[in-house]
Amino acid sequence: MDIGWYLAVSAIVFAIGAGGVLTRRNPLVTLLCLELMLNAANLALIAFSRMHGNGDGQVFAIIVMVVAACEVTVGLGVIVAMHRRRLPIDVDELRELHG
Amino acid sequence: MQTLAWLVLILPLAGSLVSALGFRALVRVSPRLPGVVGTVAIAGAFACSIGLLVKLQDLPADGRQVVFSAWDYVVTGGVDARLSILVDPLSVFMALVVTGVSMLIHLYSTTYLLSDRGYARFFSYLNFFVFSMLVLVLAGNFVILVAGWAFVGAASYLLISFWYRRTTATSAGIKAFVINVVGDVGIVLGTYFIFRHSHTLDFLGTFSQADKLPQGSLTAGLILLLVGAFAKSAQIPLHTWLPDAMEGPTPVSALIHAATMVTAGVYLIARMWPLFEQAPGAADVGSAIGLVTLLVAGTIGLVVTDLKRVIAYSTMSQIGYMIMAVSSGVYVGGLFHLMTHAFFKALLFMAAGSIIGAMAGEQSLDRMGGFRRAMPFTFLCFVVGGLCLAGIPPFSGFFSKDEILSFLGDRGGWYWALYAGGYVGALLTAVYTWRMIFRAFFGEPVPEAAELERGHLHHAEVHVNPANGEVEDTDVGFPGPDHHIAERSLPMKVAMGLLAIAATVGGVLQIPFGATDAVDRFLAPTFAGSRMFEGVHPSDGLTLAGMVLGAAIGLLGIAIAYHVWVRRPGTSAAIQARFAGLHRLFVNKWYFDEAIDALLVRPAAWLGRFFAQTFERLVVDGTLVGGTTGVISAASATVRRLQSGFVRAYAALLLVGLVAVSLYFLLQT
Amino acid sequence: MTVHLSILLALPAAGGALGALAGGRAARWWGLAGSLLALAYAIVALVRFHAGDGQQFMTDDMWISAIGVHWKLAIDGLNLGLVVLSTGIFSACTLWATSHDWDNPGLFYFWLGLAHSSVLGALLAQDLLVFVIFFDLMLVPFLFLAGIWSPTPRADRIRAILKLFVYTLVGSLLMLAAAIATAVLNARGGNAISFAFSDLSGTALSKGSQEWIFLFFAAAFLIKMPAFPFHGWMPDGYVNMPMPVVAVFSAVLSKVAAYGFLQIALPLFPQGSQHFQMLLLLIGLASILYGSAMAFTTTNTRLVLGYSSMAQLGFIVLGIFSLDARGAQGALLQAFNHGLVVAPAFFLVALAAARSGGSEDLRDMGGIAFRAPLMATVFLIVALANLAMPGTSNFAGEFLILLGVFKAKIAIALIASVGVVLASAYSLRLLIRAMHNRVGPKVASHEISLRDGLVAVPLVLAIVAIALYPQFALHRSEPAVDGSLSTLPVAVAEAGR
Repeated sequence: MDIGWYLAVSAIVFAIGAGGVLTRRNPLVTLLCLELMLNAANLALIAFSRMHGNGDGQVFAIIVMVVAACEVTVGLGVIVAMHRRRLPIDVDELRELHG
Repeated sequence: MQTLAWLVLILPLAGSLVSALGFRALVRVSPRLPGVVGTVAIAGAFACSIGLLVKLQDLPADGRQVVFSAWDYVVTGGVDARLSILVDPLSVFMALVVTGVSMLIHLYSTTYLLSDRGYARFFSYLNFFVFSMLVLVLAGNFVILVAGWAFVGAASYLLISFWYRRTTATSAGIKAFVINVVGDVGIVLGTYFIFRHSHTLDFLGTFSQADKLPQGSLTAGLILLLVGAFAKSAQIPLHTWLPDAMEGPTPVSALIHAATMVTAGVYLIARMWPLFEQAPGAADVGSAIGLVTLLVAGTIGLVVTDLKRVIAYSTMSQIGYMIMAVSSGVYVGGLFHLMTHAFFKALLFMAAGSIIGAMAGEQSLDRMGGFRRAMPFTFLCFVVGGLCLAGIPPFSGFFSKDEILSFLGDRGGWYWALYAGGYVGALLTAVYTWRMIFRAFFGEPVPEAAELERGHLHHAEVHVNPANGEVEDTDVGFPGPDHHIAERSLPMKVAMGLLAIAATVGGVLQIPFGATDAVDRFLAPTFAGSRMFEGVHPSDGLTLAGMVLGAAIGLLGIAIAYHVWVRRPGTSAAIQARFAGLHRLFVNKWYFDEAIDALLVRPAAWLGRFFAQTFERLVVDGTLVGGTTGVISAASATVRRLQSGFVRAYAALLLVGLVAVSLYFLLQT
Repeated sequence: MTVHLSILLALPAAGGALGALAGGRAARWWGLAGSLLALAYAIVALVRFHAGDGQQFMTDDMWISAIGVHWKLAIDGLNLGLVVLSTGIFSACTLWATSHDWDNPGLFYFWLGLAHSSVLGALLAQDLLVFVIFFDLMLVPFLFLAGIWSPTPRADRIRAILKLFVYTLVGSLLMLAAAIATAVLNARGGNAISFAFSDLSGTALSKGSQEWIFLFFAAAFLIKMPAFPFHGWMPDGYVNMPMPVVAVFSAVLSKVAAYGFLQIALPLFPQGSQHFQMLLLLIGLASILYGSAMAFTTTNTRLVLGYSSMAQLGFIVLGIFSLDARGAQGALLQAFNHGLVVAPAFFLVALAAARSGGSEDLRDMGGIAFRAPLMATVFLIVALANLAMPGTSNFAGEFLILLGVFKAKIAIALIASVGVVLASAYSLRLLIRAMHNRVGPKVASHEISLRDGLVAVPLVLAIVAIALYPQFALHRSEPAVDGSLSTLPVAVAEAGR
């Protein structure tokens, strides 16, 4: 199959994820959308890996997954902590660190 | 000899350290012990000085200048200051005067300060002073000289501010110290001018090339050295600290502000004679200032009512004689007067201390009177001191003063002005001295004197600071609850008695016409090669005429004082009314304090306030720091606006950037 | 035993780090051990140092080969005294700090140790970039020490510290740029790029580049000193630091700047130094007069000492820029003396403040001397040394400085000597108003404790010892000072003779 299809799916998923990150205010959903973007990238990596016939891309993809898992763990932890402290679950409200 | 020389220095220092570090232990053994330790240390130094004298006389006359060096002090880049001392007749002479008079004053103080809570501290300071003074007179180069010079200034400061709860004492102390530092700076700068051409700081090395030094630098350097001498010796216009220094305990006034430290300027000029003879311009400045001080201080002495300040102005005036003498080349006369003056002025101060004790701390002549019968011994001492000061034969002051004046007369030229001025000064001296004696001892006994006659020493109910009437903080740092007078204290009596004898017979050391001339012969090796010392010899006629004139003027002065203050007690008020303007000038001390205040102190204070309140705020903090930090923070404020805190805005920016970069590369291909 | 300077450098920071790990009450002893070990090691170096053998105990490794940065440390006559001084002062001030309970002590002693190490790094560095790094690093610990443990209200302190940081950082950035320019311009002739002093000296820079590079370095050093008119950060900075910290800051950090002039500015940019000699002399003179006037006016004891330091540093600048061996010798000696004197001065002022109901204002003090005779004695010695009374080593320093300036520019020496007189006025004013006069309203005096004595007495003994024998220091620094002046154009050196 032509690599173009894989890349097209990857691009669409990436765009959906990016759109979600830009538009949604709930951090939970933002995290979900980030995952979508990461997985879109993974898809592209694996597609290329297969096209070139070596495993480098797959190794990268696995590393990305590990990083994503860590990130979700931390991110969810932060969200739970925020909820416990009754902070608003809204990324626009949480701008203490602005300049 | 080397051991002896160093011992002269080490003993007082050791005494000072023992009293300072071990004061608790010493006082526990016996309350008088610090005083004993201090006195013994000085007596040891005196004995060592005598030993030095003997050893020095054993040497051949041209070898009586010995330098001992301990270690390198500052030796770098051509500077050659070693820790070295110079033992020669002049320094031994000074060491003898210093240790001898100090020993007696220490003895006096063992009782006089007994009820003071700072007894051990006092002796520690006093011993330190003697050590410093010996460093000064034994110094073998300019750096050690300046060190000794500043040490005595510091010791003087410490002792003036000894009663440190009195604000008058602390402000007098700081004034004395700062003016003395002006003198230190003068000496340092003067040293630079000389060092620039001599390339050595060593005294003997410098003197040996005195005739090769260029005239301009030498004169500038010597005038700066004179600034140092004037500051230390309370010569106009750097004299204002000395009257204020009377805030210190009376033995301090006797030792430091009459007998020893204030004569350091005289010593300095005598020590630098090879240079001064090469720069007559600078020497003339010294002579002129000496004369002016002599006369101005004499006039102030006529009107001051504080007993100790009368003697202080008298000291200034007498040092004027000495400065005038040594600057004009009358080295031995000046130094001899230094010695006799040390005797009788210390004696007068001690006697004054005795009266102040009887008055329970009061120092004003207006409150005194009629102590003649109550305090016969003190009176006797005052009379001896007064006769010396007035120059009545055969007391010591007569010989020393007349030696100076006859030499000045012999030099001729403008020195005749000094000669005449010296006799005017002598008249003033006799009048103010005997004014003081007549006012304190004659007339109706004041209540304190009457009380003493009945055998009871007056004590104050409330202790007040005599200078400003402030009630004393009696915790510490005030003269103590008890008072001491010579009549009731053996150590004081012994000290004053010995000094009175020395003051009476001291003149025999230097009877003219070749009779003894002992001082002259002893000091000759130091002044070998001097044009003045070897070239100027007044004729016997001039000497004799001077002696007669001097004695007559002294007697005249005493007679005037007797007339004005004893026979016709109203006369002085009449004179005051007649010459009100002049009286005001004298009472206000010729307005020197006010002039210095207006010319230096107030502008400096104003400048300091301007800096602190305006300049610092506007320029330094506002413009420079504020400007720099302002630019930085303005720039950061701009950048900061991008950090809105909206995560989605950051993401959008990221995406836009990514797209832009991708497009750039796509369009490139 | 060979002295390894990297170990000396690491000891205090290691002590601080161990203290931070230990935390709690043990932290102070780790911090103290680190600085005391450094002091002991520095004394070993002092004993084994041979005057006239040039740089000794050299450590020289290539650090970043691509840009020619060397990890190069050495002791020579210029930094020997200052290394001993800084270890001694840091030890004393750490000991002083242990008598106080700080919040979060582990962190406190860590920062103090790091400050100590970075000062040593700047002093020991024989590589321009290493020097710049440590010179900037020096400031960071003080930022935290002031920000976290200062006794003043938080809002004031943050503002003041920010000011201090930004202002001094501007100077440091100028210096970084100048350092890079120096190395790059030196490498233009086909040489490999290197930041080591030894590769840079005998420099081939043109007069024009020397001038601007010198100015950049001078700006950094003058700000750090501080010298008039760059001292704007000083009042705020001094008031907002804990006392032991401000003592170290005043005693040690300003000396690094003075040292920088001798070690870097003069040998590397001789023509620049000569070109701006008059400017620097005038800055020194202005610092003396301005600092003295301010020290005499203010009633805040910290600022009295702060401005008095400024005046003393003015003398040091004068000495260095007399471009005369004696002046430079005096400046180096005076840098040592001033550090040795100002640290106990701050300590005594802190003790006086503790006896005056915590107030650091002269108007609240007075009459402390009785009940505390030992303290009064120590205070007296320190005050007399501070005013450079002849017979103290400070006088030996000022004597040489003024002599050097006298040879170079007589008028400046004459005006500068006014500063000596003013120094006596403000030092005695501090002594009298703190210790003498009537007892102040809130004063409750008592003698200093044994622990306080352990801080003050060794320092005072050191003052007395160096006063008796300043040649000890002068002898060791003489060859190095001559070396650092040797690249100056001959005309200057000759005119100075």
